[in-house]
Amino acid sequence: MILLVCGLLTVAALFYVFYIPTTLQLGPEQTRAAFLRERKDAVYENLRDLNFEYKAGKVPDADYATMKQSLEDEAAAILAEIEQLESQGAAYQKG
Amino acid sequence: MPQIGSFVLLLALALSGYSFLFGAVALFRRDSLSAVITETARRAGIASFVAVLIASAILVTAAFQNNFSIAYIYHHSNIDLPIPYKFATLWSGQEGSLLFWSLLLSGYGFVLRLRHKTDERLFAHASVIIAAVQVFFLLLLTFAARPFATTPGELPLDGAGLNPLLQYPEMVIHPPMLYLGYVGFTVPFAFALGALIMKYPGDKWIHITRRWTMVTWGLLSCGIALGAHWAYYVLGWGGYWGWDPVEVASLLPWLTGTAFLHSVMMQEKRGMLKTWNVWLIFVTFGLCIFGTFLTRSGVVNSVHAFAQSSIGTWFVIFLAIIAATCIFFYVYNRSHLRTEHHLESLVSRESSFLFNNVLFLLICFVALWGTLFPVLSEWIQGHKITVGPPFFNSVTVPFALLLLLLTAVGPLLAWRKTSLGSLKRNFLWPTVGAIAVGILLIATPPSWGSVFGMRPWTDVAYFYSLIAAMLAALVIFTVAAEFLRGGRVISGHTGRGLVSSMMLLGHRNTRRYGGYVVHIGMALIFIGVLGTPLNRTAEKEMGFGDKIDIGPYSLVSRSFTQDETPNYSSSIAILDVYRGGKLITTLYPESRFFTATQQPQHVPSVYSPLREDLYVVFEGQNQDTGRPIIKAHLNPLVSWLWIGVLVMLFGTVLALFPNAPVPVRAVAAAPVTAGFHAPTAPVGAD
Repeated sequence: MILLVCGLLTVAALFYVFYIPTTLQLGPEQTRAAFLRERKDAVYENLRDLNFEYKAGKVPDADYATMKQSLEDEAAAILAEIEQLESQGAAYQKG
Repeated sequence: MPQIGSFVLLLALALSGYSFLFGAVALFRRDSLSAVITETARRAGIASFVAVLIASAILVTAAFQNNFSIAYIYHHSNIDLPIPYKFATLWSGQEGSLLFWSLLLSGYGFVLRLRHKTDERLFAHASVIIAAVQVFFLLLLTFAARPFATTPGELPLDGAGLNPLLQYPEMVIHPPMLYLGYVGFTVPFAFALGALIMKYPGDKWIHITRRWTMVTWGLLSCGIALGAHWAYYVLGWGGYWGWDPVEVASLLPWLTGTAFLHSVMMQEKRGMLKTWNVWLIFVTFGLCIFGTFLTRSGVVNSVHAFAQSSIGTWFVIFLAIIAATCIFFYVYNRSHLRTEHHLESLVSRESSFLFNNVLFLLICFVALWGTLFPVLSEWIQGHKITVGPPFFNSVTVPFALLLLLLTAVGPLLAWRKTSLGSLKRNFLWPTVGAIAVGILLIATPPSWGSVFGMRPWTDVAYFYSLIAAMLAALVIFTVAAEFLRGGRVISGHTGRGLVSSMMLLGHRNTRRYGGYVVHIGMALIFIGVLGTPLNRTAEKEMGFGDKIDIGPYSLVSRSFTQDETPNYSSSIAILDVYRGGKLITTLYPESRFFTATQQPQHVPSVYSPLREDLYVVFEGQNQDTGRPIIKAHLNPLVSWLWIGVLVMLFGTVLALFPNAPVPVRAVAAAPVTAGFHAPTAPVGAD
């Protein structure tokens, strides 16, 4: 009885692990563009943070202007790189 | 039954071994076959969970069936053990608790492997690392700490019984909570190491594990608090924290985990502290394993450690492998962890996180040092020198107070930099409030309660209590000010009422405002702890009608009674409690004697108004006079500790909720740089 139960458990486990009816593909790699999109979201969130802290009176006017400028520059650089990567991708597909 | 249990554990080991080895091989191949191997490795991990689940079910069933042919059940259960404790048998001893560890780990792995579509490559790496940890625990269960080992010789008629200290309702939930926390840190560790191994671009692993980490942290917090509550209500010594090595073992990963929860925000927001964060999570996981080692190896003496055993060596080897693996991949791939920004100002949210991290690690180091000091002193000097609570308190309390100060100041600081002017402006009223609390505590008469009429100049402990009270008040006031300030901004934009605006504010950024609620919980916990130096005790042999006076209370013995259950016999004192000559309650401290284990246990009876706890213990009977000995403790403010824990857990749950969606409007007139329009401040969506 014990042997039968152990045998059945083994067969069930092997069947579950190795019986794969569908064809499998390798998962996609995380690309530089995807990473940049994440960074873009983070910078946007930082901008919202900054705006909110400014309105709540935690950031003085002078600091707000400099910090906002710096974040906007960072976002612009990220957007530019995303755009560049996307146009390269489009050119590669056409070519 | 025992044979099937042993077999399924062996099967689980084989499946986890496959999941680890073949999963790892597939990660280094980038061909069509690797997708198939990865899938089989994932499925093997899932199947191993089912196998461990079956093994656990067999052990619990054996406890319910009083199957004393299994040595583990014989040693940790008996026929008359109440049903909930039979279930708790699973984690009451060395072998069962390791099986429980393994069950939780495979359960976490199961959930993770089901969600693999989120990012197949990253999840495959994490799955392999979890399988490796699982292999270690299954090796232990198969060769060193076998839960299904059979009882030698004749089959016993009854079991040796469960330790009386564990026969308490909280013991049914305290270990699972603690274990869920311990084991849960494997998941962020696996993702962090996986991301480092594959040089994963970006911080997606942090987003994926954010909720895991918060849930794990919440469970560990809950487990530690339940342990303290159990110590208070079961051990009968009148305290809840004694710096016992096993208590410290649970605190260490909590400290580093808390540091991680703070510093990881800097990585998400600013791309900073990547190396620091990775190492914090490595260390947190290492401390979870180290804590398990401390509890089981017998290297340190503890009231709740398991017996000394040979499995300590296994843990030392495993810890060495973890350290070597982490160091190797860090050295090999450290270029991947380059920071994107640097600290811009010492007065900023980033720097407050950095300081809080340093303080958390300092407390962690002190606690670790004090715990290991007996072992280290024995190695170096040949004899054990034990350091007790006075050492831990004298070193950690100042650091903890500094942390409380940072908890108050942090929310007032803006990201990047804060001008001293705005800091002063935002800090003024909370500081005035905190100073008012300090003056109130000194100036009020002691008749108002144990903590009033403080004289901080008479004892350093009173000084610390006063500072703790003021800082706790500062935390509560600054958080309240944050909610008010944010609420006003929302109210100004939406026209809602202030309360409704503050609720909306919390809903729009649950993580931040849930975190603030956690801070309030911590402040309340400090309030609960600060009364400790003012504790008082009184002890007396009491005949009928005898009286003990303690603080404003008088305890008068009304009667003594005895009771008998199949599991234990007990003696109970019935004491009337008077305050100002008026009867306010009756307490029933109890002394139990457990039949199976032949061990006594004192069950205290506690009267807990918010001001102080009146904690009464039936210490036993005088052998000569036969009169009961009653010990009374007056512990100020303890209830605030438990309230603080509940608030902290509420804040954690709040932080887990998704943010409410916020309408985003683009500013047409602010194209600072070509192609970029800044998102405006959707109020409260910071």
